[in-house]
Amino acid sequence: MFKSTITRLVLTLFVLTLLASGCAKKPVAEQPTMTEQPAVEMQQQQPAAVVEQQVSDTAPAYDAAAVARAAELAASSGLERIHFAFDQYVLTDAAKSILVSNAGLLRAAPVVKVLIEGHCDERGSDEYNLALGEKRALAAKNYLLSLGVAAERMNVISYGEEMPIDSARTKEAWAKNRRANFKVKR
Amino acid sequence: MRYLKISFFSLMILYLLCSAAIAARIEISAPGEQTIPLAMTRLLPMGVGAVQPAVVEEFQQVLQSDLDLSGLFDLVDPAAFLNDATKLGLRRTDIDFNQWRMLGSEALIKGGYSVSSGQLTIELRLFDVITHRLLTGRRYVGKLTDVRKIAHTFADQVLLSLTGEMGPFSTKIAYISKRTGRKELYMMDVDGHQPIRMTDHRSIVLNPDFSPTRKELIFTSYNKGNPDLYRKEIYTGRESRLSLKQGLNIGGRYSPDGREIAITLSKDENSEIYLIGTDGTIHRRLTNHYSIDVDPSWSPKGNKIAFVSDRRGNPNIFIVDIHTLGVTRLTHEGKYNATPAWSPKGGRIAYSRMDNGVFNVFTIREDGTDERQLTFGKGSKEHPRWSPDGRFLIYSKDLNGGGRSIWIMRADGTGAKRISARGGNDSHPAWSGRW
Repeated sequence: MFKSTITRLVLTLFVLTLLASGCAKKPVAEQPTMTEQPAVEMQQQQPAAVVEQQVSDTAPAYDAAAVARAAELAASSGLERIHFAFDQYVLTDAAKSILVSNAGLLRAAPVVKVLIEGHCDERGSDEYNLALGEKRALAAKNYLLSLGVAAERMNVISYGEEMPIDSARTKEAWAKNRRANFKVKR
Repeated sequence: MRYLKISFFSLMILYLLCSAAIAARIEISAPGEQTIPLAMTRLLPMGVGAVQPAVVEEFQQVLQSDLDLSGLFDLVDPAAFLNDATKLGLRRTDIDFNQWRMLGSEALIKGGYSVSSGQLTIELRLFDVITHRLLTGRRYVGKLTDVRKIAHTFADQVLLSLTGEMGPFSTKIAYISKRTGRKELYMMDVDGHQPIRMTDHRSIVLNPDFSPTRKELIFTSYNKGNPDLYRKEIYTGRESRLSLKQGLNIGGRYSPDGREIAITLSKDENSEIYLIGTDGTIHRRLTNHYSIDVDPSWSPKGNKIAFVSDRRGNPNIFIVDIHTLGVTRLTHEGKYNATPAWSPKGGRIAYSRMDNGVFNVFTIREDGTDERQLTFGKGSKEHPRWSPDGRFLIYSKDLNGGGRSIWIMRADGTGAKRISARGGNDSHPAWSGRW
């Protein structure tokens, strides 16, 4: 499980890099005339964020906006849900490794915000499950926080047992429903 | 032949002796203790106006079903009625009480009706057959569509005059139903008739409670994204958000005087029980524990609140004193106890316990003794709530694949019957106060 997550991370980063270099239209840093251009014009051409970044001579120049878009896309499609044991909000090892991967995607896309939804299976009382679902969402949030995702980028909401993804009454369905989902918002 | 006659007579004498003895203690308060033999005649037409057999039939059916549900009566078989049942005479001097006494009845309901230009008048009398006393007499004037309401209201009166405590039949039940595909708020009569949808939020509406003093409901809704507490005026339909703190605003319950609301808030990222005003401002925080604290329910005096907490591991019922904030544990048996409901008449707290994945309704004395299981068998029974007189409980029952329905039973667990129509996935019933 852990291994595959790492593999996925590496792959994602690789794709990101490819995208970045593929989309680069203006290799600005290597233009010899750059220093002769008036400062005002340069600011018009480049977003402020890039100007402030430290770029080494050898590093490939890239289109920051395209990278950001790609990272956003990766985050919105790549954030995986995590699962919990019955009446528990403690993160399992499997959940933690998924969160490590999710945190990587979120750090790569600093503009996206994420809504963490906590859910329960249908067993148990509705009100208790609303509180339990919130505890699950908060456990995920706090773990992401410890992995460097800013608190103000994360919101939590609990749906208790109100939104099952599988309404069957089987152990498998209940296990699927005890979860925290991640929804990306700009 | 002579032998038969003698035995008949001795039986009659024995019977009269018995009934005289019973009549002396006709005042009873709880079902199961004793039933009163009651004769209920059909409504007879009074004066002029068209005969309305449909009115008579509906009235008879509603009143009889209320009286049956109360468990207080033993209805005399109408097939045995003698000719007094066909006479309109409503004054006690007009009634041949001996006929009713012979049939074994101790109480008698007689009534008449008339309809003129759409206006329905029903006049009803309840007599004590033994003492020939008029126990209660009522005249109701309404529209033809008010038949059910009149029958329920008179049933309440019958209980009042025979037990000293008004019945709950003319009150209302609010509940959550998924009939439209989404969870919305509904309201119906105590016998499940005349259901109406109250909200059109098309999101998730949860867990209603009636104001004890106003025609008003509170409930939680995800209408604006967050689970906020809403208030709705029943007749004007006016609706507003009452508590919209970040996180949960759930399980709102009016205090017995209607001035405050106990509620679960999680604004500090942990669910705790609070008291808020009817304007939504926080008055007091009642719990302070990192565990889950939900599902408040007021004691009838308004000085204590039962709630659910997993502070000792599994969900159990605890009681907090709202002045000292001292917390005591109520339930010790079972691994999952939830949804407490404190009887308005005090004494007992109903709740549901999950065992092997199935909830059943229990009651326990407020000092934690005398725990009793009221429901058994398959299908979860949850969300028990008391009638305003403490005689009945409503709850939701899962029909194993057939969806959930609202059921009613007596406080001792007998007489259980389904009241909401099948196929609605109905849950979270709440009982109004006197309507």
